[in-house]
Amino acid sequence: MIKKTFKVSDMTCSNCAMKLESLEDTLDGVKEINASYHRLEMVIEYDESKLTDEQIVAAVKKKGYTAVMK
Amino acid sequence: MSKKQTPSVDPVVIVMLGVVFVAVAVAMIAFQPSSNSINIAADAGTMSQLVVAFITGITTGGLSCLAVQGGLLASSLAHQIEQDYVEHVATNKKAKAAPRSNSALPIALFLLAKLVAYTLLGALLGWLGSYLTLSPLTRAFLMIAIGIFMIGNALRMFNVHPIFRYFSIEPPKFITRYIRRTAKGTDTATPIFLGLLTVFIPCGVTQAMMATALGTGSIAMGAALMFAFTLGTSPVFFIIAYLTTELGSRLEKFFMRFVAVLVLIFGFVTLNSGLNVMGSPLSFQNLTSGWFPSQTESNAVAESSQPAAADGAITLEVQNSGYFPKTLKAPANQDFTLNLVTDQTYSCARDFVIPALDYYQLLPDTGTVQVNIPAQKAGSTLFFTCSMGMYTGQIVFE
Repeated sequence: MIKKTFKVSDMTCSNCAMKLESLEDTLDGVKEINASYHRLEMVIEYDESKLTDEQIVAAVKKKGYTAVMK
Repeated sequence: MSKKQTPSVDPVVIVMLGVVFVAVAVAMIAFQPSSNSINIAADAGTMSQLVVAFITGITTGGLSCLAVQGGLLASSLAHQIEQDYVEHVATNKKAKAAPRSNSALPIALFLLAKLVAYTLLGALLGWLGSYLTLSPLTRAFLMIAIGIFMIGNALRMFNVHPIFRYFSIEPPKFITRYIRRTAKGTDTATPIFLGLLTVFIPCGVTQAMMATALGTGSIAMGAALMFAFTLGTSPVFFIIAYLTTELGSRLEKFFMRFVAVLVLIFGFVTLNSGLNVMGSPLSFQNLTSGWFPSQTESNAVAESSQPAAADGAITLEVQNSGYFPKTLKAPANQDFTLNLVTDQTYSCARDFVIPALDYYQLLPDTGTVQVNIPAQKAGSTLFFTCSMGMYTGQIVFE
Protein backbone atom coordinates (compact mmCIF):
# COMPACT_ATOMS: atom_id res chain seq x y z
CA MET A 1 0.00 0.00 0.00
CA ILE A 2 1.16 3.50 -0.81
CA LYS A 3 -0.24 6.89 0.16
CA LYS A 4 -0.10 9.83 -2.26
CA THR A 5 -1.47 13.36 -2.25
CA PHE A 6 -3.00 15.01 -5.28
CA LYS A 7 -3.82 18.68 -5.67
CA VAL A 8 -7.37 19.16 -7.01
CA SER A 9 -7.68 22.91 -7.56
CA ASP A 10 -11.07 22.92 -9.23
CA MET A 11 -13.13 21.75 -6.24
CA THR A 12 -15.85 24.32 -5.55
CA CYS A 13 -17.56 22.98 -2.43
CA SER A 14 -17.45 20.18 0.11
CA ASN A 15 -19.65 18.10 -2.18
CA CYS A 16 -16.76 17.92 -4.63
CA ALA A 17 -14.69 16.26 -1.91
CA MET A 18 -17.51 13.77 -1.36
CA LYS A 19 -17.64 13.02 -5.08
CA LEU A 20 -13.92 12.34 -5.16
CA GLU A 21 -14.15 10.11 -2.11
CA SER A 22 -16.75 8.04 -3.92
CA LEU A 23 -13.88 6.78 -6.11
CA GLU A 24 -13.17 4.51 -3.16
CA ASP A 25 -16.10 2.40 -4.34
CA THR A 26 -15.20 2.23 -8.01
CA LEU A 27 -11.41 2.19 -8.29
CA ASP A 28 -9.93 -1.22 -7.83
CA GLY A 29 -7.00 -1.31 -5.40
CA VAL A 30 -8.01 1.76 -3.39
CA LYS A 31 -8.01 1.37 0.38
CA GLU A 32 -9.02 4.88 1.39
CA ILE A 33 -9.51 8.35 -0.07
CA ASN A 34 -9.62 11.50 2.01
CA ALA A 35 -10.48 14.59 0.00
CA SER A 36 -10.61 18.08 1.47
CA TYR A 37 -12.25 21.10 -0.09
CA HIS A 38 -10.54 23.34 2.46
CA ARG A 39 -7.08 22.21 1.35
CA LEU A 40 -8.09 21.46 -2.27
CA GLU A 41 -6.37 18.11 -2.10
CA MET A 42 -7.02 14.41 -2.12
CA VAL A 43 -5.00 11.84 -0.17
CA ILE A 44 -5.33 8.35 -1.60
CA GLU A 45 -4.06 5.12 -0.12
CA TYR A 46 -3.87 2.37 -2.68
CA ASP A 47 -2.20 -0.78 -3.87
CA GLU A 48 0.29 0.31 -6.51
CA SER A 49 0.37 -3.16 -8.04
CA LYS A 50 -3.29 -2.75 -8.99
CA LEU A 51 -3.51 0.95 -9.73
CA THR A 52 -1.31 3.59 -11.36
CA ASP A 53 -1.13 7.36 -10.89
CA GLU A 54 -2.37 7.83 -14.44
CA GLN A 55 -5.44 5.72 -13.72
CA ILE A 56 -6.19 7.82 -10.64
CA VAL A 57 -5.82 11.07 -12.59
CA ALA A 58 -8.07 9.68 -15.32
CA ALA A 59 -10.71 8.58 -12.78
CA VAL A 60 -10.66 12.01 -11.18
CA LYS A 61 -11.01 13.59 -14.61
CA LYS A 62 -14.04 11.42 -15.25
CA LYS A 63 -15.60 12.93 -12.14
CA GLY A 64 -15.04 16.38 -13.66
CA TYR A 65 -11.88 17.46 -11.83
CA THR A 66 -8.19 17.82 -12.50
CA ALA A 67 -5.74 16.05 -10.19
CA VAL A 68 -2.06 16.91 -10.10
CA MET A 69 0.34 14.88 -7.98
CA LYS A 70 2.03 16.93 -5.25
CA MET B 1 -25.46 5.88 -19.37
CA SER B 2 -28.32 6.36 -21.77
CA LYS B 3 -27.69 9.91 -22.90
CA LYS B 4 -30.41 9.81 -25.52
CA GLN B 5 -32.94 9.44 -22.77
CA THR B 6 -34.63 12.83 -22.93
CA PRO B 7 -36.55 13.87 -19.84
CA SER B 8 -40.26 14.23 -20.38
CA VAL B 9 -42.98 15.65 -18.18
CA ASP B 10 -43.74 12.96 -15.68
CA PRO B 11 -47.16 12.68 -14.03
CA VAL B 12 -45.43 12.22 -10.70
CA VAL B 13 -43.61 15.53 -11.23
CA ILE B 14 -46.94 17.24 -11.63
CA VAL B 15 -48.41 15.42 -8.64
CA MET B 16 -45.36 16.28 -6.55
CA LEU B 17 -45.51 19.94 -7.50
CA GLY B 18 -49.21 19.87 -6.74
CA VAL B 19 -48.48 18.42 -3.30
CA VAL B 20 -45.91 21.15 -2.73
CA PHE B 21 -48.31 23.94 -3.65
CA VAL B 22 -51.11 22.44 -1.58
CA ALA B 23 -48.71 22.21 1.34
CA VAL B 24 -47.81 25.87 0.85
CA ALA B 25 -51.48 26.81 0.82
CA VAL B 26 -52.13 24.76 3.97
CA ALA B 27 -49.13 26.34 5.65
CA MET B 28 -50.35 29.81 4.75
CA ILE B 29 -53.84 29.10 6.03
CA ALA B 30 -52.48 27.55 9.20
CA PHE B 31 -50.30 30.56 9.89
CA GLN B 32 -52.79 33.31 9.15
CA PRO B 33 -52.78 36.03 11.80
CA SER B 34 -56.42 35.31 12.61
CA SER B 35 -55.70 31.67 13.36
CA ASN B 36 -55.98 30.83 17.03
CA SER B 37 -54.52 27.38 16.64
CA ILE B 38 -50.94 28.49 17.05
CA ASN B 39 -50.24 31.51 19.18
CA ILE B 40 -46.92 32.37 17.65
CA ALA B 41 -48.65 32.80 14.32
CA ALA B 42 -50.85 35.62 15.59
CA ASP B 43 -48.31 38.01 14.22
CA ALA B 44 -47.92 39.29 10.68
CA GLY B 45 -44.18 39.41 11.31
CA THR B 46 -44.21 35.67 11.90
CA MET B 47 -46.06 35.14 8.64
CA SER B 48 -43.64 37.33 6.74
CA GLN B 49 -40.74 35.46 8.34
CA LEU B 50 -42.17 32.17 7.08
CA VAL B 51 -42.76 33.60 3.63
CA VAL B 52 -39.18 34.90 3.58
CA ALA B 53 -37.96 31.45 4.66
CA PHE B 54 -40.01 29.84 1.87
CA ILE B 55 -38.74 32.31 -0.73
CA THR B 56 -35.17 31.82 0.51
CA GLY B 57 -35.71 28.09 0.05
CA ILE B 58 -37.16 28.33 -3.42
CA THR B 59 -34.45 30.74 -4.61
CA THR B 60 -31.10 30.26 -2.90
CA GLY B 61 -31.80 27.25 -0.68
CA GLY B 62 -32.85 24.85 -3.40
CA LEU B 63 -29.81 25.63 -5.50
CA SER B 64 -27.44 25.65 -2.59
CA CYS B 65 -28.83 22.29 -1.41
CA LEU B 66 -28.37 21.04 -4.93
CA ALA B 67 -24.69 21.95 -4.75
CA VAL B 68 -24.09 20.18 -1.44
CA GLN B 69 -26.58 17.33 -1.33
CA GLY B 70 -27.73 17.09 -4.91
CA GLY B 71 -24.50 15.96 -6.48
CA LEU B 72 -24.22 12.82 -4.43
CA LEU B 73 -27.73 11.97 -3.34
CA ALA B 74 -29.66 13.07 -6.39
CA SER B 75 -27.18 11.39 -8.69
CA SER B 76 -27.52 8.21 -6.67
CA LEU B 77 -31.27 8.44 -7.03
CA ALA B 78 -31.01 9.37 -10.67
CA HIS B 79 -28.74 6.39 -11.18
CA GLN B 80 -31.34 4.23 -9.52
CA ILE B 81 -33.98 5.73 -11.78
CA GLU B 82 -31.84 5.15 -14.80
CA GLN B 83 -31.23 1.53 -13.79
CA ASP B 84 -34.95 1.00 -13.32
CA TYR B 85 -35.54 2.50 -16.72
CA VAL B 86 -32.86 0.40 -18.42
CA GLU B 87 -34.17 -2.73 -16.73
CA HIS B 88 -37.65 -1.87 -17.87
CA VAL B 89 -36.48 -1.31 -21.43
CA ALA B 90 -34.61 -4.61 -21.35
CA THR B 91 -37.68 -6.50 -20.23
CA ASN B 92 -40.21 -4.64 -22.33
CA LYS B 93 -39.64 -4.11 -26.01
CA LYS B 94 -42.41 -1.54 -26.13
CA ALA B 95 -40.23 0.89 -24.24
CA LYS B 96 -41.91 3.97 -25.62
CA ALA B 97 -44.82 3.39 -23.32
CA ALA B 98 -42.58 2.88 -20.31
CA PRO B 99 -44.34 3.88 -17.13
CA ARG B 100 -41.82 6.46 -15.91
CA SER B 101 -44.04 7.46 -13.03
CA ASN B 102 -42.14 4.95 -10.86
CA SER B 103 -38.89 6.68 -11.65
CA ALA B 104 -39.73 9.89 -9.82
CA LEU B 105 -41.03 8.17 -6.73
CA PRO B 106 -37.63 7.79 -5.01
CA ILE B 107 -36.97 11.52 -5.33
CA ALA B 108 -40.43 12.34 -4.00
CA LEU B 109 -39.89 10.01 -1.04
CA PHE B 110 -36.44 11.46 -0.49
CA LEU B 111 -37.80 15.02 -0.40
CA LEU B 112 -40.70 14.15 1.88
CA ALA B 113 -38.30 12.47 4.32
CA LYS B 114 -36.03 15.50 4.11
CA LEU B 115 -38.98 17.80 4.85
CA VAL B 116 -39.91 15.78 7.93
CA ALA B 117 -36.30 15.59 9.13
CA TYR B 118 -35.68 19.33 8.82
CA THR B 119 -39.00 20.22 10.44
CA LEU B 120 -38.05 18.07 13.44
CA LEU B 121 -34.59 19.62 13.42
CA GLY B 122 -36.20 23.09 13.40
CA ALA B 123 -38.33 22.11 16.41
CA LEU B 124 -35.24 20.86 18.21
CA LEU B 125 -33.30 24.04 17.42
CA GLY B 126 -36.24 26.20 18.49
CA TRP B 127 -36.44 24.27 21.75
CA LEU B 128 -32.70 24.73 22.30
CA GLY B 129 -33.14 28.43 21.53
CA SER B 130 -35.89 28.76 24.13
CA TYR B 131 -33.68 27.01 26.65
CA LEU B 132 -30.93 29.50 25.94
CA THR B 133 -33.44 32.42 26.36
CA LEU B 134 -31.77 34.72 23.90
CA SER B 135 -31.64 38.36 24.96
CA PRO B 136 -31.88 41.01 22.22
CA LEU B 137 -28.13 41.52 22.46
CA THR B 138 -27.42 37.77 22.13
CA ARG B 139 -29.82 37.66 19.22
CA ALA B 140 -28.00 40.62 17.67
CA PHE B 141 -24.68 38.82 17.95
CA LEU B 142 -26.27 35.70 16.47
CA MET B 143 -27.67 37.68 13.54
CA ILE B 144 -24.31 39.34 12.95
CA ALA B 145 -22.62 35.93 13.04
CA ILE B 146 -25.18 34.54 10.58
CA GLY B 147 -24.68 37.59 8.34
CA ILE B 148 -20.90 37.18 8.36
CA PHE B 149 -21.29 33.45 7.71
CA MET B 150 -23.53 34.12 4.69
CA ILE B 151 -21.26 36.85 3.31
CA GLY B 152 -18.24 34.57 3.78
CA ASN B 153 -20.04 31.78 1.95
CA ALA B 154 -20.98 34.10 -0.91
CA LEU B 155 -17.37 35.26 -1.22
CA ARG B 156 -16.32 31.60 -1.17
CA MET B 157 -18.67 30.91 -4.08
CA PHE B 158 -17.12 33.84 -5.94
CA ASN B 159 -13.69 32.33 -5.18
CA VAL B 160 -12.45 35.65 -3.83
CA HIS B 161 -9.77 34.22 -1.52
CA PRO B 162 -8.80 30.71 -0.29
CA ILE B 163 -9.57 31.73 3.30
CA PHE B 164 -13.29 31.81 2.50
CA ARG B 165 -13.23 28.06 1.81
CA TYR B 166 -13.32 27.63 5.57
CA PHE B 167 -16.83 29.09 5.61
CA SER B 168 -17.94 25.80 4.08
CA ILE B 169 -18.43 23.19 6.77
CA GLU B 170 -17.12 19.78 5.78
CA PRO B 171 -19.18 16.96 7.28
CA PRO B 172 -17.18 14.29 9.13
CA LYS B 173 -15.84 11.57 6.84
CA PHE B 174 -17.63 8.74 8.60
CA ILE B 175 -20.98 10.41 7.90
CA THR B 176 -20.33 11.05 4.21
CA ARG B 177 -18.95 7.53 3.83
CA TYR B 178 -21.98 6.05 5.54
CA ILE B 179 -24.39 8.07 3.40
CA ARG B 180 -22.55 7.13 0.24
CA ARG B 181 -22.71 3.44 1.03
CA THR B 182 -26.36 3.64 1.99
CA ALA B 183 -27.10 5.40 -1.31
CA LYS B 184 -26.27 2.21 -3.16
CA GLY B 185 -29.44 0.55 -1.98
CA THR B 186 -32.28 0.20 -4.40
CA ASP B 187 -35.27 -0.47 -2.18
CA THR B 188 -37.98 2.06 -1.32
CA ALA B 189 -36.66 2.65 2.18
CA THR B 190 -33.32 3.88 0.87
CA PRO B 191 -34.44 7.27 -0.47
CA ILE B 192 -36.43 7.85 2.71
CA PHE B 193 -33.41 7.06 4.82
CA LEU B 194 -31.21 9.26 2.63
CA GLY B 195 -33.68 12.11 2.94
CA LEU B 196 -33.48 11.83 6.72
CA LEU B 197 -29.69 11.74 6.60
CA THR B 198 -29.45 15.06 4.76
CA VAL B 199 -29.69 16.83 8.12
CA PHE B 200 -26.05 15.85 8.55
CA ILE B 201 -24.91 17.56 5.36
CA PRO B 202 -26.71 20.92 5.34
CA CYS B 203 -25.70 23.49 2.75
CA GLY B 204 -24.55 27.00 3.68
CA VAL B 205 -27.97 28.60 3.32
CA THR B 206 -29.57 25.77 5.31
CA GLN B 207 -27.01 26.26 8.06
CA ALA B 208 -27.89 29.95 8.17
CA MET B 209 -31.59 29.08 8.36
CA MET B 210 -30.84 26.60 11.15
CA ALA B 211 -29.17 29.40 13.09
CA THR B 212 -32.26 31.54 12.52
CA ALA B 213 -34.46 28.72 13.82
CA LEU B 214 -32.27 28.60 16.92
CA GLY B 215 -32.78 32.35 17.30
CA THR B 216 -36.59 32.02 17.31
CA GLY B 217 -36.50 30.39 20.74
CA SER B 218 -39.76 28.58 19.98
CA ILE B 219 -40.37 24.93 19.10
CA ALA B 220 -43.35 25.73 16.85
CA MET B 221 -41.66 28.66 15.15
CA GLY B 222 -38.38 26.80 14.68
CA ALA B 223 -40.24 23.87 13.13
CA ALA B 224 -42.42 26.15 10.97
CA LEU B 225 -39.39 28.09 9.76
CA MET B 226 -37.46 24.99 8.73
CA PHE B 227 -40.62 23.48 7.22
CA ALA B 228 -41.22 26.59 5.11
CA PHE B 229 -37.60 26.74 4.04
CA THR B 230 -37.29 23.04 3.18
CA LEU B 231 -40.62 23.14 1.39
CA GLY B 232 -39.23 26.01 -0.67
CA THR B 233 -36.15 24.01 -1.59
CA SER B 234 -38.21 21.02 -2.69
CA PRO B 235 -39.51 22.06 -6.15
CA VAL B 236 -36.09 23.22 -7.38
CA PHE B 237 -34.40 20.19 -5.86
CA PHE B 238 -36.98 17.86 -7.30
CA ILE B 239 -36.86 19.22 -10.83
CA ILE B 240 -33.09 19.41 -10.95
CA ALA B 241 -32.58 16.06 -9.26
CA TYR B 242 -34.91 14.62 -11.85
CA LEU B 243 -32.88 16.05 -14.70
CA THR B 244 -29.54 15.72 -13.00
CA THR B 245 -27.99 13.14 -15.26
CA GLU B 246 -28.40 15.47 -18.22
CA LEU B 247 -28.04 18.94 -16.76
CA GLY B 248 -26.60 18.66 -13.23
CA SER B 249 -23.08 19.99 -13.61
CA ARG B 250 -23.92 22.67 -16.13
CA LEU B 251 -26.79 23.99 -14.04
CA GLU B 252 -24.63 23.88 -10.95
CA LYS B 253 -21.99 26.16 -12.48
CA PHE B 254 -24.54 28.57 -13.91
CA PHE B 255 -26.67 28.84 -10.78
CA MET B 256 -23.84 29.04 -8.27
CA ARG B 257 -23.11 32.63 -9.37
CA PHE B 258 -26.77 33.49 -9.01
CA VAL B 259 -26.89 31.83 -5.60
CA ALA B 260 -23.75 33.68 -4.51
CA VAL B 261 -25.27 37.07 -5.37
CA LEU B 262 -28.47 36.28 -3.45
CA VAL B 263 -26.60 34.88 -0.45
CA LEU B 264 -24.43 38.01 -0.42
CA ILE B 265 -27.52 40.26 -0.39
CA PHE B 266 -29.22 38.21 2.36
CA GLY B 267 -25.95 38.21 4.30
CA PHE B 268 -25.71 42.01 4.29
CA VAL B 269 -29.40 42.35 5.19
CA THR B 270 -28.96 39.97 8.15
CA LEU B 271 -25.75 41.68 9.28
CA ASN B 272 -27.48 45.07 9.09
CA SER B 273 -30.45 43.76 11.10
CA GLY B 274 -28.05 42.51 13.75
CA LEU B 275 -26.41 45.93 13.93
CA ASN B 276 -29.86 47.51 14.31
CA VAL B 277 -30.82 45.18 17.15
CA MET B 278 -27.53 46.02 18.80
CA GLY B 279 -28.33 49.73 18.48
CA SER B 280 -25.19 50.34 16.49
CA PRO B 281 -24.89 53.71 14.72
CA LEU B 282 -23.11 51.79 11.94
CA SER B 283 -26.27 50.12 10.61
CA PHE B 284 -27.46 51.29 7.20
CA GLN B 285 -30.58 52.99 8.56
CA ASN B 286 -28.74 54.76 11.37
CA LEU B 287 -25.86 55.83 9.14
CA THR B 288 -28.16 57.25 6.49
CA SER B 289 -30.92 58.62 8.73
CA GLY B 290 -30.09 62.23 7.81
CA TRP B 291 -29.09 61.65 4.21
CA PHE B 292 -32.40 61.62 2.43
CA PRO B 293 -34.48 64.79 2.11
CA SER B 294 -37.72 62.83 2.12
CA GLN B 295 -36.89 61.38 5.50
CA THR B 296 -35.90 64.81 6.86
CA GLU B 297 -39.22 66.17 5.65
CA SER B 298 -41.13 63.39 7.31
CA ASN B 299 -39.20 64.07 10.47
CA ALA B 300 -40.11 67.75 10.27
CA VAL B 301 -43.75 66.80 9.92
CA ALA B 302 -43.38 64.31 12.66
CA GLU B 303 -41.75 66.86 14.90
CA SER B 304 -44.60 69.29 14.43
CA SER B 305 -47.07 66.55 15.25
CA GLN B 306 -45.01 65.25 18.14
CA PRO B 307 -47.14 65.67 21.25
CA ALA B 308 -46.11 68.47 23.58
CA ALA B 309 -44.20 67.13 26.51
CA ALA B 310 -46.23 69.06 29.09
CA ASP B 311 -46.28 66.11 31.47
CA GLY B 312 -42.85 65.02 30.33
CA ALA B 313 -44.34 62.31 28.10
CA ILE B 314 -43.58 61.78 24.42
CA THR B 315 -45.63 59.50 22.21
CA LEU B 316 -44.33 57.03 19.65
CA GLU B 317 -46.82 55.35 17.36
CA VAL B 318 -46.00 51.70 16.78
CA GLN B 319 -47.62 50.70 13.49
CA ASN B 320 -47.47 47.61 11.33
CA SER B 321 -45.10 49.42 8.97
CA GLY B 322 -42.76 50.76 11.64
CA TYR B 323 -42.34 53.60 14.14
CA PHE B 324 -43.75 57.10 13.69
CA PRO B 325 -42.13 59.53 13.93
CA LYS B 326 -38.87 57.84 13.10
CA THR B 327 -36.93 60.57 14.85
CA LEU B 328 -38.12 61.87 18.20
CA LYS B 329 -36.66 64.93 19.87
CA ALA B 330 -36.43 64.96 23.65
CA PRO B 331 -35.03 67.41 26.19
CA ALA B 332 -31.57 66.52 27.45
CA ASN B 333 -30.57 66.03 31.08
CA GLN B 334 -34.01 65.09 32.36
CA ASP B 335 -36.03 61.91 32.68
CA PHE B 336 -39.13 61.53 30.57
CA THR B 337 -41.83 59.00 29.78
CA LEU B 338 -42.10 57.44 26.34
CA ASN B 339 -45.61 56.29 25.47
CA LEU B 340 -45.60 53.41 23.02
CA VAL B 341 -49.01 53.35 21.36
CA THR B 342 -50.17 50.35 19.35
CA ASP B 343 -53.41 50.06 17.44
CA GLN B 344 -54.02 46.68 15.83
CA THR B 345 -50.30 46.27 15.37
CA TYR B 346 -49.32 42.73 14.52
CA SER B 347 -45.93 43.13 12.86
CA CYS B 348 -42.59 42.60 14.58
CA ALA B 349 -42.62 46.35 15.40
CA ARG B 350 -44.43 45.17 18.54
CA ASP B 351 -41.20 43.56 19.74
CA PHE B 352 -39.78 46.86 20.91
CA VAL B 353 -36.10 47.13 21.85
CA ILE B 354 -33.93 50.01 23.11
CA PRO B 355 -30.52 48.30 23.01
CA ALA B 356 -28.58 50.98 24.94
CA LEU B 357 -31.00 50.74 27.87
CA ASP B 358 -31.23 46.94 27.58
CA TYR B 359 -34.99 47.43 27.32
CA TYR B 360 -37.11 44.80 25.59
CA GLN B 361 -40.89 44.57 25.60
CA LEU B 362 -43.48 42.69 23.56
CA LEU B 363 -46.20 45.32 23.26
CA PRO B 364 -49.92 44.46 23.23
CA ASP B 365 -51.43 44.58 19.74
CA THR B 366 -53.60 47.49 20.90
CA GLY B 367 -52.82 49.70 23.87
CA THR B 368 -50.23 51.97 25.45
CA VAL B 369 -47.06 50.99 27.27
CA GLN B 370 -45.04 53.57 29.18
CA VAL B 371 -41.25 53.47 29.28
CA ASN B 372 -39.21 55.63 31.63
CA ILE B 373 -36.23 57.03 29.77
CA PRO B 374 -33.45 58.21 32.08
CA ALA B 375 -31.72 61.57 31.51
CA GLN B 376 -29.32 61.65 28.58
CA LYS B 377 -26.65 64.15 27.58
CA ALA B 378 -27.39 66.85 24.98
CA GLY B 379 -26.40 65.76 21.51
CA SER B 380 -26.70 62.06 22.31
CA THR B 381 -28.96 59.64 20.43
CA LEU B 382 -30.87 56.59 21.61
CA PHE B 383 -31.64 54.09 18.86
CA PHE B 384 -34.69 51.87 19.07
CA THR B 385 -35.68 48.96 16.85
CA CYS B 386 -37.87 45.91 16.55
CA SER B 387 -36.31 42.64 17.70
CA MET B 388 -35.75 41.61 14.06
CA GLY B 389 -33.83 44.79 13.26
CA MET B 390 -36.28 45.56 10.45
CA TYR B 391 -37.93 48.71 11.81
CA THR B 392 -35.82 51.38 13.43
CA GLY B 393 -35.93 54.89 14.85
CA GLN B 394 -34.09 57.22 17.19
CA ILE B 395 -34.50 59.71 20.01
CA VAL B 396 -32.29 62.75 19.68
CA PHE B 397 -31.60 64.68 22.89
CA GLU B 398 -31.11 68.42 22.70
